[in-house]
Amino acid sequence: MTHHFARRTFLRGTGVSMALPWMESLSVWGDQTTKPASQAPVRLAVLFSGNGFTNNEWTARGEGQQMELGQVLTPLTEFREKLLFIRGLYNVEAQQGGIHSAQTGNLLTGARLASGGDIRSGTSFDQIVAQRYGYSTKVPSLVLGCERSNPGIHKDYSMVYSSHISWSSPTAPTPLEIYPALAFDQLFKDDVQRGKQSVLDAVLTEAHGFRNKISSTDQRKLDEYLNSVHEVEKRIELAGRNGELQGWRPTLEKPNVPRPPEGIPQEITEHMRLMCDILVLAFQTDTTRVCTLKLNNDHSALQFPHLDVEIGHHELSHRNNTKWLKVNQFMVEQFGYIARRLDAIQEGERTALDNSMLMYCSSMMTGGHDATELPVVLLGGAGGQLQGGRVLDYLGKPNRKMCSLYLSMLDKQGIHLKQFGDSTRRLSEV
Amino acid sequence: MKTRVPCRPVPQLIEGLLWFAISFLLGTSIVSGDEPASLRTIGEEYAREVRPLIRQFCLDCHSIENPEGGLNLNQFATLTEVRRAPRVWVKIVEMLASGEMPPRDSQQPSDSEKKQLLDWIERYLRAETLASAGDPGIVVLRRLTNAEYTYTIRDLTGVDLNPVRKFPANSAAGEGFTNTGGALVMSPALLQKYFGAGEEIAAHAVLLPNGFRFSPHATQQDWTNEILAEIREFYKEFVEGEKLGSFQSNLPYHLGQAGRLPLEKYFSATLAERSAITNGTKTIETVARQYGLNTKYLGILWSSLSGSRPSLILDKLRSCWQCAEPEDADALAADVAAWQKGLWTFGPVGLYGKKGAPARWMQPVNPLVTREDIHFRIEIPTTPDNEKKEEFAVSLVVTDAGDGNDQDFVVFQQPRLVSKEQPDILLRDLPDSGLDPIMFGRHPNSQAIDADSLCVRAPSVIKFRLPTKLAADLVFVTTAVLEKETGSEGSVQVLPVTHRVDDTPSVRSGLLTCEVTTKFSKVGVLVAGRDRDVSRRGAILVSETSTASRRIEAAMDEYRSIFPAALCYTQIVPVDEILTMTLFHREDDHLARLMLDDAQKSRLDRLWEELHYVSQSPLKRLDAMELVLEVLAGNEAADFRARYNLFKPMRAPLQKLTAEFREELVDDEPGQIDALIDFAGRACRRPLTQVQASSLRGLYHRLRSQELPHDEAFRLTLARVFVASPFLYRFENAPAGTDTAQVSDWELASRLSYFLWSSIPDEELRTAAQTGRLTHSHARDSNPDSSNPPTAFGDESDAELLRQTKRMLSDARVRRLATEFACQWIHTYDFGSLGRKSETLFPDFARLRGDMHEESILFFTDLFRHDGSLLSLLDANHTFVNERLAKFYGIQGVNGATWCRVDGMRNHGRGGILGLAVTLAKHSGASRTSPILRGNWVSEVLLGEKLPRPPKNVPQLATTVPEGLTERQLIEQHSSNAACAKCHSRIDPFGFALENFDTVGRWRDKSDSGLVINSQTTLPDGTQIQGLSGLREYLLKKHRDTFVYQFCRKLLGYAIGREVRFSDRPLLAKMQHRLKKNNYRFSIAVETIVLSEQFRRIRENSYDR
Repeated sequence: MTHHFARRTFLRGTGVSMALPWMESLSVWGDQTTKPASQAPVRLAVLFSGNGFTNNEWTARGEGQQMELGQVLTPLTEFREKLLFIRGLYNVEAQQGGIHSAQTGNLLTGARLASGGDIRSGTSFDQIVAQRYGYSTKVPSLVLGCERSNPGIHKDYSMVYSSHISWSSPTAPTPLEIYPALAFDQLFKDDVQRGKQSVLDAVLTEAHGFRNKISSTDQRKLDEYLNSVHEVEKRIELAGRNGELQGWRPTLEKPNVPRPPEGIPQEITEHMRLMCDILVLAFQTDTTRVCTLKLNNDHSALQFPHLDVEIGHHELSHRNNTKWLKVNQFMVEQFGYIARRLDAIQEGERTALDNSMLMYCSSMMTGGHDATELPVVLLGGAGGQLQGGRVLDYLGKPNRKMCSLYLSMLDKQGIHLKQFGDSTRRLSEV
Repeated sequence: MKTRVPCRPVPQLIEGLLWFAISFLLGTSIVSGDEPASLRTIGEEYAREVRPLIRQFCLDCHSIENPEGGLNLNQFATLTEVRRAPRVWVKIVEMLASGEMPPRDSQQPSDSEKKQLLDWIERYLRAETLASAGDPGIVVLRRLTNAEYTYTIRDLTGVDLNPVRKFPANSAAGEGFTNTGGALVMSPALLQKYFGAGEEIAAHAVLLPNGFRFSPHATQQDWTNEILAEIREFYKEFVEGEKLGSFQSNLPYHLGQAGRLPLEKYFSATLAERSAITNGTKTIETVARQYGLNTKYLGILWSSLSGSRPSLILDKLRSCWQCAEPEDADALAADVAAWQKGLWTFGPVGLYGKKGAPARWMQPVNPLVTREDIHFRIEIPTTPDNEKKEEFAVSLVVTDAGDGNDQDFVVFQQPRLVSKEQPDILLRDLPDSGLDPIMFGRHPNSQAIDADSLCVRAPSVIKFRLPTKLAADLVFVTTAVLEKETGSEGSVQVLPVTHRVDDTPSVRSGLLTCEVTTKFSKVGVLVAGRDRDVSRRGAILVSETSTASRRIEAAMDEYRSIFPAALCYTQIVPVDEILTMTLFHREDDHLARLMLDDAQKSRLDRLWEELHYVSQSPLKRLDAMELVLEVLAGNEAADFRARYNLFKPMRAPLQKLTAEFREELVDDEPGQIDALIDFAGRACRRPLTQVQASSLRGLYHRLRSQELPHDEAFRLTLARVFVASPFLYRFENAPAGTDTAQVSDWELASRLSYFLWSSIPDEELRTAAQTGRLTHSHARDSNPDSSNPPTAFGDESDAELLRQTKRMLSDARVRRLATEFACQWIHTYDFGSLGRKSETLFPDFARLRGDMHEESILFFTDLFRHDGSLLSLLDANHTFVNERLAKFYGIQGVNGATWCRVDGMRNHGRGGILGLAVTLAKHSGASRTSPILRGNWVSEVLLGEKLPRPPKNVPQLATTVPEGLTERQLIEQHSSNAACAKCHSRIDPFGFALENFDTVGRWRDKSDSGLVINSQTTLPDGTQIQGLSGLREYLLKKHRDTFVYQFCRKLLGYAIGREVRFSDRPLLAKMQHRLKKNNYRFSIAVETIVLSEQFRRIRENSYDR
């Protein structure tokens, strides 16, 4: 036993650590928020839908209650005072490939995407937050989706880019959970089966033994595995230690709804609703503070029979008609639904929405693949740091990079970086 | 007439470059006498001529300060830097050749300068290609894809578990396939899923005395039922009659209706082939095979029937058989069945072990008696005309029981007529009986016996008359015994009958069939019934301990040994008692003796052993026992006390059995762990190292020390195998060095099996790897001259690799190559489950999409397995359909869900992948066809052309086709814009040729709005074609090489798990060359890959070549 323990300590302490990014966070977990311990933390959610929106209907003019929203955004009318509409941002690197996957895989990373059968983006800003604060909560981040990812390569870019906006590392798109029940389990199932820790120890030791026999590229790939095993171990250790490190207490300790049924719901409405509920529940119970929800893929084949739309999402995006608008509004309604539910949760003086920063975006403005100007809306107060009821227009301005927005958003999470993606500047107005 | 872009289209140019290299390598250089320039010369040329040109025309925009399009040409100071990024130079050729660069508003190079630049790049790329030929390249460590994981688990466990159903879908990389390392990421969430899947698989492990196996199920009850079903299935092959009569139906014989020996067909065969077997033209084996009979039993039966050793019971059967015809088989079988009724008895076995309970289900019984009490209820015989006669006759027929009448003296003690109303009437005193009174009280040898009794010698008939009016409710009663002095070795059968006065019953010769009836009392809730009550008819009367009785018994034993009423107890789980304490009853000794060979016997023994082991029946029986005893003990009633005492003796032996079983379980544990280690080696595709093995054992013991029971610790240790990195990843050792090295036998075996089967090596391939046959004596220069690739088919390991490849290609598992490679190549991978069309317009589509997908899989599998020509991908005249798909295609005469091959697809306007419903439907919209998608598919997938991406803000298309337009006209309108036309003229015409197929791939002559379809089109190079057949001819004639090249490229990319690189071009050229010479047979492409450096070697860890 002594020997075994020593080896584990060794592995944790030195051997593997070189390759493991979480080591950065180990020293800081729990105590590096910029907030007093009694305040609710800022929760970050990013919602995405693919293929852009109806021409000229993703618009906002005016301020506060007087704000006029384009037709796509009408589901957000009730939140005008908490809404920040940002026009004119773009991703320089997305102009390279310029079609679907090539402008989606780097939406949250700002990185250049590898083409020609390789896969490489950057670490996305949501995962930066997750890696920094991951161990303050039971689950570092929740990455959800409502559509399976596509195989294949499109116009020289892997379709993995179409279906992944969240990246744990430049070569590791974070797999999306599309099963509501499993997403629920990720949050609330305490997996403390006897012996599991020993099994993980054993495979970790074994993989480490292989590491120096394989090529350096293979080693980097294997590190994804080592990293994952270690993190699962960590989660098992942390299970049940929820909230011990904070003075603040979430308003809900345990889920107040049953686990969703197994399988993927037949109806897309049901599927999305369940995923939204899980996101809200995760924030309300403070099980995680970062969630990315991909309502569909870029290049999506989702159909919307309940809206009397039988054409797949992508095909429809090339036909600017009323059905397309209906589908756009349906997507934005999901965003509104999350906001409404969070706004109904009172956390001290503020609502959970006031303590959150929700972002909705797509990787092109319209179905015509135009990424020179991206649709972006923020909702929520980020704990009093974000002023809603405004329209910011960056079109034509020199600093209009998405990554500048991310730097500003990271600031509000207490993460102050010099550079992110292709930007070193913030959007001061945000 | 439109003006055409005056330069060569880019892909063709690249193709030209490529072909230059190919033709050179094959010694058929198009530029005769052209030697490859040395890299040194090229380097000098670069400095002298090329670099200045680049500085002059390109650096303004593509420098380090201003790398437009991300391109910095400053970095290429010398050839050394150039060689770090040859792909950039391919791009430069593209840009220069297409005239896209330098931009029109910039300074332009002269034609000769442009030519100089292009020529140099061409020379450089050719030299680069040769310098790096055969480089294995960087292959990112591959995790198993979901499909590979599934197939691997299936091949490892032998069961279909679908463990990946909740895994995220795989993405693609490299040449567009999911089996490329870069696309196979790991994350904590995914690792959790792997753990869960591993535990799920481990839950399907069934522990066995000397190891374990896997079951489709995960509960002990299911495993038990599985084995039961297997045993029953085993029995079923030999016996007839499955339904065991319920005990409670009170029809005792029904207990024996299951597991019958199916004699009819055996008799039938012996009769039909009697002369053939007798005169030796057919052997028993031949006949058995011909009639589907068991050889062993047929032999036994044959020698019994054709034998000549006298046998009391058999003789009659033999003589009947000798003169019977095949149609008499049933009668013969009926005769045997009648005898079986007399020679066997059946009893309940549920309480086996209880005091007084039967030891066996089917027990022999001998219809022999030393004293027969005759109670013959007299019934007046009916006459044909139903008239009442005054009197009738009763006869006692006495036979010699078939063995002659030596000593057959029988005494009928005081024969009399008994009735309720009157006093008994001695037969001797019956008036007008017709019997001579002198017969009474006298032995035929004149000695005196009891005055009221009769003594006769068989055969004999004692006939007496009886007035009808006297006969009501009359019983004839007597006791028959053999006469003590003169009959001690006799044997007779007595049969009382009634008949008309005028008749005299004949004494039948031979032994009469006996009949035994067994009755059981009803069984109560907690108790067994009383002893059985056995009655017999036609019993054989003998004297006690006589030789005659032993002789008859022996004859019965012999008969029984050939004709057991049942071969085995097919019921296995007794249902003959309300309460049973026997979980499983095994009684198949007759089956084993008469029909099974040694292998079958041991299989049956193994199954039974497994049944007890898996069900843990000893433990369960003891539990049941304790429960019964507890209930009985809790009741003071005398009845319960008695029952308690009846059951109690069962407890001690059962306790002993259970204790032994527990010990056995513990003894078996180490063997199960050994088996787990073997299994782990197979799962990880190579034998475990000492360290790995002891780590597995260590984990098991650690888990036990954490107080996990054996079963749980075993399963967790097994689950660990499925989460382990050497299972999930395809590790390959990168040796130290700067060159390339041969991969090991085990690694090569895995490369081969995952290429062709998407799964682990099978036994045969493992043996080849184990014995080093895949690489040994592979005397390859460790630093091979790259300009001289190794000659294939040279040495032993080549031969072995080829042998394995051929073998594996002809295996059914090659279907996986069809689904994983071919379906991904033609972009229809998920179409069978995820393809979607408008349900309003195509309500049948959802049902058809799986069939469409299956058709393509069968088509490819057939081509791969039977080594078809790659050209048949385009020009096949056959396909595979079931009824539903045949109807969809308009093909007559295919019925049912079974798939069959049909020819003549060209008559239906189809044939090959162009005409597959799945490709046509996949590359359509949801409600209308898309010539753009189809055209793009032909251009990109089949011809490998790289088209520029669409411009920003492409105009929107109408959802439905506007009135009066066909889809084609809609597209033509859309593409008439000059900016669009540039590309669309290169892709749309291919799609127009396929316009005779609607959105779901159904043939149509007219569009939805009734407009005539026009499938005539002018292709980018000006060729005019009509329809699918025109397109096919065009591709085959004008683009055959390009098509074959593209296929080879994709196959190579799939096989080696990375994008095809520059250094692969010589290999691709070789593939094409060999294919051309060998009728484009698929195996040639595979073999060339398998024997290549790329496939057999790996870069060393400090590769620097």
